[in-house]
Amino acid sequence: MLGILGAAAASGISITRAFAVSLNPSDLAVHFDGDYLRISLPRYSFLGGKELERLKDGASVAFLAQLTVTATPNSLMPIARSVARFALSYDIWEERFQVTKIGASPESRRTVSHLTEQAAQNWCIDNLTLDKSQLPSDRPFYLQFDLRAEDPRDQLGIIGEPGINLTRLIEIFSRPVRSAQFHSLMTAGPFRLDDLRKLEPKGPRG
Amino acid sequence: MPLFLLVLLVAVTSALHADQDLVRAADESNVNQRYVIESISIPGIERDHLPPDLLQRVDSLVGLPCDMAMLNALSLEIRRQLHFRTVTEHLAKGSEPGRVRVSFEVSHRDRAFEVSLPRFLYHSDQGFTGEVEANAHEGANTYTFGLVSNGDDLTERFSGITAHLESDPSLTRPIRFELGFEDYHEQWSQMTRDAAVGSGLDIYRSRWDIAPELTFNIAPALAVSFGTSFTETQSENALIGSRWTDAATFDVNYGHKIEGGPMEQRIDGKYSLRVATRFLGSTYAYARHMISMRYEARTGRHLLANQFIAGSIAGEAPFFDRFVLGSSSTLRGWDRYDIDPLGGSRVVHNEMTYGYRTSLGTAEGFYDIGMLWQSNRAATLRHSLGVGFRKGVFMLSLACPLHDGRIEPVFMAGMNY
Repeated sequence: MLGILGAAAASGISITRAFAVSLNPSDLAVHFDGDYLRISLPRYSFLGGKELERLKDGASVAFLAQLTVTATPNSLMPIARSVARFALSYDIWEERFQVTKIGASPESRRTVSHLTEQAAQNWCIDNLTLDKSQLPSDRPFYLQFDLRAEDPRDQLGIIGEPGINLTRLIEIFSRPVRSAQFHSLMTAGPFRLDDLRKLEPKGPRG
Repeated sequence: MPLFLLVLLVAVTSALHADQDLVRAADESNVNQRYVIESISIPGIERDHLPPDLLQRVDSLVGLPCDMAMLNALSLEIRRQLHFRTVTEHLAKGSEPGRVRVSFEVSHRDRAFEVSLPRFLYHSDQGFTGEVEANAHEGANTYTFGLVSNGDDLTERFSGITAHLESDPSLTRPIRFELGFEDYHEQWSQMTRDAAVGSGLDIYRSRWDIAPELTFNIAPALAVSFGTSFTETQSENALIGSRWTDAATFDVNYGHKIEGGPMEQRIDGKYSLRVATRFLGSTYAYARHMISMRYEARTGRHLLANQFIAGSIAGEAPFFDRFVLGSSSTLRGWDRYDIDPLGGSRVVHNEMTYGYRTSLGTAEGFYDIGMLWQSNRAATLRHSLGVGFRKGVFMLSLACPLHDGRIEPVFMAGMNY
């Protein structure tokens, strides 16, 4: 049973942390929900540091999440990919979180509110799905989970009415991911489609 | 090579723009938007020290729903006008449920020097036009040094250096002083050279100018400027040598934005007068009047804009003060040398644009109509049509002059054009 990643940990797992987060590979579970592959990381927390500080100040924080299927652990050629964008905000008065999954159009947005910190994070990960038909059925594959916070202060101010600020552009491209900016990357596998544990369909989501 | 650099720059900046769209979408979904703003403060800055237009914007948000996109835009404006390194908005519970207090936390610059690319243009007939600027701030003063190559604004292409001093650019005081310096080398088209023979107009190889100016901010929407401009041109004809154009200048600028309700409207107007007189030591004597008016209305996904310009020169002005049509903003698609290789002393032009905002950017259609002529000659009315696409400050457009049934489209790509 490769549904629980703990069983696959010995096969090959790599994790990159650009910001201190409590990410334990054995926490990652892979399962099917109807025709969708989902992952879950119940004890994984990506809210912390500056992002959480900004949320508590009432600002919005955007996260980019990506789930990639590759043939080898470090392959740059994905077989399939799912990208989701989440906007989190913190209700100043109710002290609860709201998450919006941002779609291609305003009509396709989905929002949930009154969430605890952990529930908000779980909702984001639960809404990152891959269609079963995109997965290879005849060979093993690896899953790469990538999550990073978008830092508006890095981008805003480069382009605007006064034009392109070359100083800020050079500054941003000449440095690695900022130590204070959240970014996590996890690769797990190999998986086989037939081995993945199937759960009872809950209906199309994501 | 320049085209490759342009494509690369557009690709990189477009990617950054996509991220800005995500940030904007995140702001629009903020849960605190249902609360009402009780107060806005900028710790460490007295209200009296805020520029009038900024103070007006701050005050106008109090009592409104807490729109994070609007607050983000305001924080950028505070940073731009007051020259801070960062400005971050913070929300806190207000005096009663449903109300929030907003404070903007500012941090000062750790450097006083920045390089920017304020605008660039690629025109399939005229080639590249672009500027690079370096800004330095010291106290309330801003010093700007620039490199320019411009083949769009005048009859000739001019390339060279600029320097500019602006006192208190944040408009915190009612009076602002500016001092501009320009030093250019000129390149002329053969059509202009041929037409200039016997016209009395001087083809000069270089031009430099120094222009001090005082601006009085009479009201938030109205500013009046007085100044002088001393320009020396070095003729290609050794017998002519150098000539001076010493002028008194006067400008009135009006800008008003009407917000609230389903439609957002903006009205801008400008009148400028340059009087070159021998009293100031000028070789030339003339008066150049120019007026421009722009109206813009936005509602939902629709944008409608109309810009009208008219100008007249009494007397004989040198090339750099003569009017030109057939640029990136006037009679788009027309070749300026087909209209008049010498420019004109009278001009009337109207530009009408309709835009439709999509999730990718704004698709536009435009119609230009205009006349350029000399005071003693007949005028010809010309038209052009085009389509374009705008994404933030970037634009792509294809313009077709309407003449004799021929279709000769001109392609333009640029930023802040």
